[in-house]
Amino acid sequence: MELIDRDNHQKLYLQLYEIIKKKIASSEWPVGSQIPTEENICKMFGVSRATVRTAVLELVREGYLKRQQGKGTFIYKNAVSEGLTMLTNFRELLYEEGLNFTTNVLARTVMMPIDDLDVKLDILKDKHIIYIKRLRLINNEPTLLQESYIPYNVCPLLLEEDVEHQSLFDIFEKKYGIKITKVKTNIEITYLKTDEGRLIGLTEASAAILLAQSFYSADTLIMYTRSIKRTDRFNFFLELERKIA
Amino acid sequence: MSDSKVVKDVMTGIFEYPHVPYWFSISQAIRIVKVSFLSTKKYPDPMAVLVFDEKYNLMGTLTLKDILKGLEPQFLKPSAKAQVAEEDESALSLLWDTLFNKGARDLAEKPVSEIMAPAKYFVEPGDPLTKAAYLMLHHDLVLLPVLENKKKFIGLVRMIEVFDEISNALLKE
Repeated sequence: MELIDRDNHQKLYLQLYEIIKKKIASSEWPVGSQIPTEENICKMFGVSRATVRTAVLELVREGYLKRQQGKGTFIYKNAVSEGLTMLTNFRELLYEEGLNFTTNVLARTVMMPIDDLDVKLDILKDKHIIYIKRLRLINNEPTLLQESYIPYNVCPLLLEEDVEHQSLFDIFEKKYGIKITKVKTNIEITYLKTDEGRLIGLTEASAAILLAQSFYSADTLIMYTRSIKRTDRFNFFLELERKIA
Repeated sequence: MSDSKVVKDVMTGIFEYPHVPYWFSISQAIRIVKVSFLSTKKYPDPMAVLVFDEKYNLMGTLTLKDILKGLEPQFLKPSAKAQVAEEDESALSLLWDTLFNKGARDLAEKPVSEIMAPAKYFVEPGDPLTKAAYLMLHHDLVLLPVLENKKKFIGLVRMIEVFDEISNALLKE
């Protein structure tokens, strides 16, 4: 049995906390079982009640243990979320899969970052970026207007790719080995400008959903997209999964 | 000038210059010029911005002169009539002040496609430099685009390189 090391500079309650956490994770103390009383833990590890209480409280706070009034303290779960992680196929985030859709490429060109695009893409203002503007139609009805901005040096050959029939994800991942590992999404209501309304089949100043997304490969920001969706054709799918510690 | 000198020997890369789509406004182009050249103290010759269409075809070039001319009020522009009275240049300093009023700011919202110099003449990378020199001199071009297979825009010939090659050949002989 692992014991408290009094020569260790780490605080006693932290050592005890780690020991108990390991017992829980290894199922030596299985989920649903009751942990020994404070008094017994004191004897097992040769520590004070205060040390036991502090370690147990921390494990309760983190969700490993649960106290039941008058009964004792029980193992609640042997793994705790470290945050929510997106699990979905990213395409599902934007597009209704399985529907009869077509894509019109409205623009695919190179430009300089204007407004705050340099900040959004984490690049210098004098660096070139690839700009792709596409309109997604479902059953011939315009439903999504998407503008993508990619630092030119991330994927210079992107300009030569077929972005009408392929998703940018597939191109990045399958063709260039750029794995998208993180997406930050901001969703808000926007009011359409004249040209946006014309493209998406609504009048100027109509309300629409705006998704602003930043795509990362490891710590590198590789793309920023701005997608406008009609509110009446909005079906937003998100799948989140807890990351197992 | 050596007979073997061809365009690709002297052309410069297209990413030496800022790119903008034709729908950018003059004011957006001005900001790009400032960021790309002035604030970094990079003064290429010429200082120009390349204007592209939505399919990334080169449409034209935009120099500092094109930008300033685009901001020029209508009444400063020369008349199209064949016979016009001589301009009273003493009034120009007064008129020039109007460049910085609201009228000029409105003009700055025009798209760059309205003020750029359209790209009409091109050379291929294997073309002799003399062809590039001829086109630039006779059509008053500061930059000459280089197209591969008449389609892909791969570089630019600048007057400075043309001058350098011609002057080298001249001084050698």
